[in-house]
Amino acid sequence: MERVMGGQKEWLYRLGRAWVAFFLLGEIVVFSIIGTGFFSARNFQNILVAATTILLLAAGETFVIITGGIDLSVGFVMGLACVVSAKIMVMLQAASVSQGLSILLGCASALLFGLLPGLVNGALVAKLRVPPFIATFGMYGVAYGLSEILCNNVPISGLPPLVGFIGNGYLLYYLPGKALTFFSPPQGIGRADIRAMIPLFPNVFVFSIIAVAIFGFILARTQFGQHIYAIGGNIDAARRAGIPVEKHLIRVYMISSFFAAMGGVMYTLRFVTGRADAGAARMLDSVVAVVIGGASLYGGTGSMVGSIIGTLIIAMLETGMVNLGLPTYNKYVYVGIILVLAVLVDQFFPEFVRKGE
Amino acid sequence: MRKILVALVLVTLVVGILVGGVFAEGKKPKIAWCPAISDPFYYMIGKGIADKCKELGLELFVAEYPKAWGPEVQVPILEAVAARGDIDVIITGPTSKDALIAPLKRIHDMGIEIITVDTYIGDGDYSKPSEYSFPLTFIGTDNFQGGVEIAHRLAEMIGKKGKVFVETTNPDVSSVVERVEGFKKGMSEYPDIEIVGVEYCLDIQEKAQQQVAAALAAHPDIVGIFGTNLYSAQGAYQAVVNAGLAGVVKIASWDATEDLIKALREGKVDLVLAQKPYEIGTLAVEAAYQYFVEGKEIPKRMVPGFFFFTRDNVDDPEAQQYIYRAD
Repeated sequence: MERVMGGQKEWLYRLGRAWVAFFLLGEIVVFSIIGTGFFSARNFQNILVAATTILLLAAGETFVIITGGIDLSVGFVMGLACVVSAKIMVMLQAASVSQGLSILLGCASALLFGLLPGLVNGALVAKLRVPPFIATFGMYGVAYGLSEILCNNVPISGLPPLVGFIGNGYLLYYLPGKALTFFSPPQGIGRADIRAMIPLFPNVFVFSIIAVAIFGFILARTQFGQHIYAIGGNIDAARRAGIPVEKHLIRVYMISSFFAAMGGVMYTLRFVTGRADAGAARMLDSVVAVVIGGASLYGGTGSMVGSIIGTLIIAMLETGMVNLGLPTYNKYVYVGIILVLAVLVDQFFPEFVRKGE
Repeated sequence: MRKILVALVLVTLVVGILVGGVFAEGKKPKIAWCPAISDPFYYMIGKGIADKCKELGLELFVAEYPKAWGPEVQVPILEAVAARGDIDVIITGPTSKDALIAPLKRIHDMGIEIITVDTYIGDGDYSKPSEYSFPLTFIGTDNFQGGVEIAHRLAEMIGKKGKVFVETTNPDVSSVVERVEGFKKGMSEYPDIEIVGVEYCLDIQEKAQQQVAAALAAHPDIVGIFGTNLYSAQGAYQAVVNAGLAGVVKIASWDATEDLIKALREGKVDLVLAQKPYEIGTLAVEAAYQYFVEGKEIPKRMVPGFFFFTRDNVDDPEAQQYIYRAD
């Protein structure tokens, strides 16, 4: 394909490959012009924070979709991890463990626990040849039911107060010309200074983007990543080439449920509560983000950068709607149109499809 | 000498306050109304806010009325509104007393004043310094007292004996938690009345209906139910009607929606407590106006009263104003 395109078509090719990025840029420009105060460091950071749930779920889903599978359980695995982390924090706090340690242990054990559903999903898909749709749909129910049982059908509250300050805090607080502090605002500053202060790097986004970057690197730059594309491209050929398909598939589903669990933990930090339905509304958004980002549900294509752009397109739209005072359900119409558009472009211009490289 | 000094200080203070007031004047705040959920109660608050803003000539930004109750819906909306940069006051009903502390604090740190209506953060006492005492004021019904009075009235209806059940929404939402606490307190005065359960429907009417149906199956001798908000109460009376127990099981409900008033007329519900959401809205805007334009100190807590509807007074002309009609 590349051989055919020279000179004149080269720019079209590059433009085509980046069309979703241009779409995102278009959103930013439009909302910045017609919105109020949309183009500001504060607002963009809000958008990044609001995007963390979709971002994390989409990051895991990217791996699965590239193998030609789908993970429908991520939303409720996220809820399960959210409930588990909150429950452990509340229990440890009741046992008069310090706030910091309770939070740390709560998060860590939820992340570890979050690997389990992926292990089961992966084993079902790889070893027992259950279609991914069915295996993960089963886990969807199991995870949801389990988390409702764990929290008695009621969101867990009464977490250590520090949780909310971590989840809603920033890495840096910068007061131009006066102070620069880590983790909490400078002490003893007046109301006027507070207005001038610029908080930078929201904690939950920083945690999330680090994880996404690491796995983005693994996907794009390691042999394991290349094998995943190979499995999605042609699973039989991958087997013949001696790729340990089953082992890789199990890992892929574990990565997906790890990201889901991380989404749950970030939710706990942000909203100071453990809810079984924490990720329910975001499961489809995450698949949409991955597909807008150039992945095909038939497998073999997709990229982490694409999924990040897909996520931002959705998050930007949601915040833009609120900024304009429009009801957010308008976004479903736009997201629906963009989704179909993305698939159509990829179908009619196969040379634009972003393959792993 | 001392007297002169004291007098001087006093005069300076008074002049200072007056001058300060004059200088502060002219700054009309732009208000943002961020409802907690799309329901008739919040639409009535919104109506009060809009009318008062118009009267005082204040600019108003209305965010969307969310379809679901919860911090995960509310926080992104609040943050997006705050980030507009043109808002001076946000009026909102926090959807969780724990989860909203940090996000609202962050918005307050941007220089935006917060007024909480209907529900509060922390324990609702903003008068003592604490990590949640930063809002300007909390304007809402005395939910505890309402719960106590409902208990007494329901106890009268069921002859001061038997089993009662409570259907409510969330365990971390200040308003309904206090209604339940007040109800328990009121009922504790009746040794022959037993509260057999409290269930949480999370503001989902269908869930309320299922839970009440299950409670009626487990305790067929329930004689009274308290539904702590409109979804809880509407779900409760549907379950009671389906079980063929309308009129046998007395239902006390909170919030005078047109649906509940109709149910009262039809005998499906026996008591309706009406809050005064319109007044809550107008009070909130007045507080913002007084704080910004007149430089006044705002009381940290304002309590509009409530009104009880029964089948005897539901058609009284003077009672009609308390029905929630947001059109």
